Amino acid sequence: MPSEQQPTQPKTLPFLFTPVVSSDESAERENPHVKSTTIVPDVVSGLKERFGEAVRAASVYAGEHTVLIARDRLVEVCTYLKDELGFNFLSDLGGIDRFTDEERYEIFYNLVSIENEQRLRVKIRIDESDLEAPTLTDVFRAADWNERECYDMFGIRFVGHPDLRRMYMPEDFEYHPLRKEFPLLGIPGSLPLPPQSPEAGLTMDPFPAAHGSKPVKSFDEEPGEDLSEIRSEMPSERPDDK
Amino acid sequence: MESDAFNQGYLTTRVDVVVNWARSNSLMPMPMGLACCAIEMMAFASPKYDVARFGSEAMRFSPRQADLMIVAGWVSYKMAHAIRRVWDQMADPKWVIAMGACASSGGMHRCYGVVQGCDNFLPVDVYIPGCPPRPEAVIHALMDIQEKIRNEYSIARDGAVGEKHRSIEPVRPKIITPDGDAAITPDRLYGQK
Repeated sequence: MPSEQQPTQPKTLPFLFTPVVSSDESAERENPHVKSTTIVPDVVSGLKERFGEAVRAASVYAGEHTVLIARDRLVEVCTYLKDELGFNFLSDLGGIDRFTDEERYEIFYNLVSIENEQRLRVKIRIDESDLEAPTLTDVFRAADWNERECYDMFGIRFVGHPDLRRMYMPEDFEYHPLRKEFPLLGIPGSLPLPPQSPEAGLTMDPFPAAHGSKPVKSFDEEPGEDLSEIRSEMPSERPDDK
Repeated sequence: MESDAFNQGYLTTRVDVVVNWARSNSLMPMPMGLACCAIEMMAFASPKYDVARFGSEAMRFSPRQADLMIVAGWVSYKMAHAIRRVWDQMADPKWVIAMGACASSGGMHRCYGVVQGCDNFLPVDVYIPGCPPRPEAVIHALMDIQEKIRNEYSIARDGAVGEKHRSIEPVRPKIITPDGDAAITPDRLYGQK
């Protein structure tokens, strides 16, 4: 006789936030947030006609067009996009660590045409063995600091950049923090803290307070002239000084 | 006896009390505004919350003229050196307030670039919780600093240049049980030693 408290068959809970992988692209076409400015098939087809093999791939995701360009032709393509097609604004530029064996790093360039109201994403891919990318500062001056940031975070050198220094991290920092193999909490000793006393060197411990260090409020003044002779002649008013 | 003294127009006190009264009511903050806490720090100095009631409305952007540093915001390892340098340039006596979760403990920035609390390189006097704290909380921290100053022996500490400072016990309330012996010591009460 089955009891009422018989455990029921466990149900699979629906996780609605899990991304659904499907070949149906209608979801991407029906992206409610898509704007007409990002749908630029004419630009993509024009690039394919003009540059041929240099446009390695073109894709649409969520109503946004992306072209993958051969690394050596990037400056040529961007110059064409700026001068002929009116993409006169470099909105953003940044690196991606795909963490793959081949062509590990990717750089994206978000281009905007203000008068035509169009947006296009251009990408190049870089192999780990040859971490160099052509600079875009000659085409878009705005690429300067973004490329410095990308160099700081990923270690990708931009050939021809006018001032390729680190953007965020100290000059003598040895690592590139946004690479996947970099630990989230950093590498101990790579980022020193100020000295705990004037004699001590830089504090290499990243968490000195957790290990009992108490920073001093102010360093004692340098000893002045010797007042012991004068003081010995003075009557001591404080008995505990003796 | 006391009423006689008041009638004659004078009273006696310690020099320390007068000095501490002056110091605690004229603190000049050095606004080390590093992130969003600095916005609340501006409100703290603005007319609505009116820190001028406590004599601290004059923010001093030169460390030579300031004696209270308010570290407002998360501190990166790169910025820590600049903050310590500004702190070293401030003249004694001086105090620090760590404002907000990030300055106190690193807060939500548990990552490679952010110092996990500015007490790793600064002698913090008062910590303020909150993300960001309300201006009232900053005023409360300022009042805590004032209370701390009023309990200091600054004149008694001042010796000749180069002389080692002698440590003086801080003033703490003595709690006496009704039968007279000091059964409840301040150390037991505060859980310190």
